[in-house]
Amino acid sequence: MNTVVITGASSGIGLETAKILTQNGFHVIGVSRSEENCKRAKEKILSENPNAQITFMQADLMQQREVVKVAESITLYLNNSGNGELYALINNAACIRSWYMTTEEGYEQQFALNHLAGFLLTYKLLPALIKAKGCVIMTGSGSHRGIKVHWDDIMLNRRYNPLIAYKQSKLCNLLFAKGLNDRYAKDGIRAYVVDPGLVNTDIGNKGTGGLVNFVWSLRKKHGVSPDVPAKTYAFLCEQKDRQNGLYYYLCKEINYSKEVTCENANRLFELSERLCGIRYEGKEMVAV
Amino acid sequence: MNVMITGAAGGLGRSLANECGRRGYNLFLTDVNEDGLLCIKQGLERQFNVTVATAACDLTNAESVDQMLAVIDKHQIRFDMLLNVAGMDYEGGFMRREREELVRIVLLNNAATLRITHAILKRRRAGKPFNIVFLSSLASMFPMPLKATYAASKRFLLDLAISLCQELKNENVHVLTICPGGMVTTQKAIHGIEAQGFWGTVTTNPLECVARNAIDRALAGKSIYVPGILNRILFFLGKIIPRSWIAAVIHWRWSGVTEVTGH
Ligand SMILES: NC(=O)c1ccc[n+]([C@@H]2O[C@H](COP(=O)([O-])OP(=O)(O)OC[C@H]3O[C@@H](n4cnc5c(N)ncnc54)[C@H](OP(=O)(O)O)[C@@H]3O)[C@@H](O)[C@H]2O)c1
Repeated sequence: MNTVVITGASSGIGLETAKILTQNGFHVIGVSRSEENCKRAKEKILSENPNAQITFMQADLMQQREVVKVAESITLYLNNSGNGELYALINNAACIRSWYMTTEEGYEQQFALNHLAGFLLTYKLLPALIKAKGCVIMTGSGSHRGIKVHWDDIMLNRRYNPLIAYKQSKLCNLLFAKGLNDRYAKDGIRAYVVDPGLVNTDIGNKGTGGLVNFVWSLRKKHGVSPDVPAKTYAFLCEQKDRQNGLYYYLCKEINYSKEVTCENANRLFELSERLCGIRYEGKEMVAV
Repeated sequence: MNVMITGAAGGLGRSLANECGRRGYNLFLTDVNEDGLLCIKQGLERQFNVTVATAACDLTNAESVDQMLAVIDKHQIRFDMLLNVAGMDYEGGFMRREREELVRIVLLNNAATLRITHAILKRRRAGKPFNIVFLSSLASMFPMPLKATYAASKRFLLDLAISLCQELKNENVHVLTICPGGMVTTQKAIHGIEAQGFWGTVTTNPLECVARNAIDRALAGKSIYVPGILNRILFFLGKIIPRSWIAAVIHWRWSGVTEVTGH
């Protein structure tokens, strides 16, 4: 049975994706920050499908040491329960903030969770992914458009704007996916980004306040149900042959920002490696 | 520039450490949270490539402080700036708190701050300007029912700072006191701000701006920094309105708010 790891699988898009993938016969390992929400999500999935192969692991992915710890647990689990292969990793956990807040490392929280956590987790799970010639899927967002990476102040410390921090983190998801493809396509690994569209979840009401909270409460009502984007993840996981596209919406390849270039992807790789204290071995291919 | 920061593993201390790192200063960080110190040290080194030393230390414990000073002396570290950030509060009314909890507020916010300030002043770099920053609070301007001990401890810091400023003026020592409103340092702080509604939001100061401005002002030799226009007005009102009136208003307002922020 193929195993898929989904971060942020305790609610919203991650939870629906876990449901659909377990229904389709995948073994899902969900990762999320709260023991209680993990337990509730597991019960929900099992109540709809008692045969679902579902495991949850608790980790606050905002903290790098917890990312490293959960990656070790996942690797151990994969080795004990099978052949150590990871078929897909879905980096989906993310947050929205109203204010500048930092992680234990002093990194801005949206950048740390929405981008760096996935960057570090993917690195740690890469051997298992390579074994399965697996894929890495990031949950992106249409909001990655119309913005550049603020290279000289990536944590937006000088003038913090929560929306820009979110948009930038989602642009980073695309750059990371592109960088992964450039480095690891030769090893049979493929990275994709899913644009879920506007989805009715509570993401903008968690850990936010004031205007952001208020605006999201109004906005989410126009969103689709999270089982709509979940189908796109299932579509990508089920392709026998890897797709060549990068960015998918409703199971179809769509265009993305012109900022997603080889140069920017390399720059983000280098910076993120430094901020995580790691070094991806794969060499990027020369841009054509 | 060598900077010591107390309470560096969380909240404003961590933001100030970031700000100093960005400016390329060498840092000596202390906090009770040892794991947190290691994380922020790693983060600073990775972001800014600066030298960061850490020492886990309970500043309310004289022995623990002596051990830290012994390390400093062994390496003959001399400082150019001290940022006194370590401080605490326990929420809730006076009689609803444990006796020793109340005492701990004063032990950390006041006694420990005195201890470290004296020790680091003795270890300042000779012949160079030295900056001390005290983290007081907007609460220092008002007697605050339901946060009585905390507000008084912050008043102590404000008065101490103003006196030291005069006393040490001729020794090239500058003293800055920061008096912020609420700051969003933790999830709990967000709940507190939300609970206070409109006033909570408008008196909240952005962490990153407070950190940047605090260092700018310290270097410019300023003595008081109240972030935000509204807070400056409240600070001024605190000077002219009779203190018992203010206490009555605050008590009336906060009796209805179950959870309050770290003002
Ligand atoms: N909703 C939209 O319209 C929309 C649009 C575009 C993109 N997206 C993207 O979709 C993804 C999923 O968001 P969603 O809308 O489904 O929101 P959501 O329901 O809030 O899901 C986020 C998930 O991440 C988990 N999480 C939050 N902080 C975490 C941490 N520090 N460590 C580990 N897990 C953590 C949450 O756990 P809890 O259950 O404990 O909260 C939850 O399971 C995000 O990447 C988001 O950027 C959403």
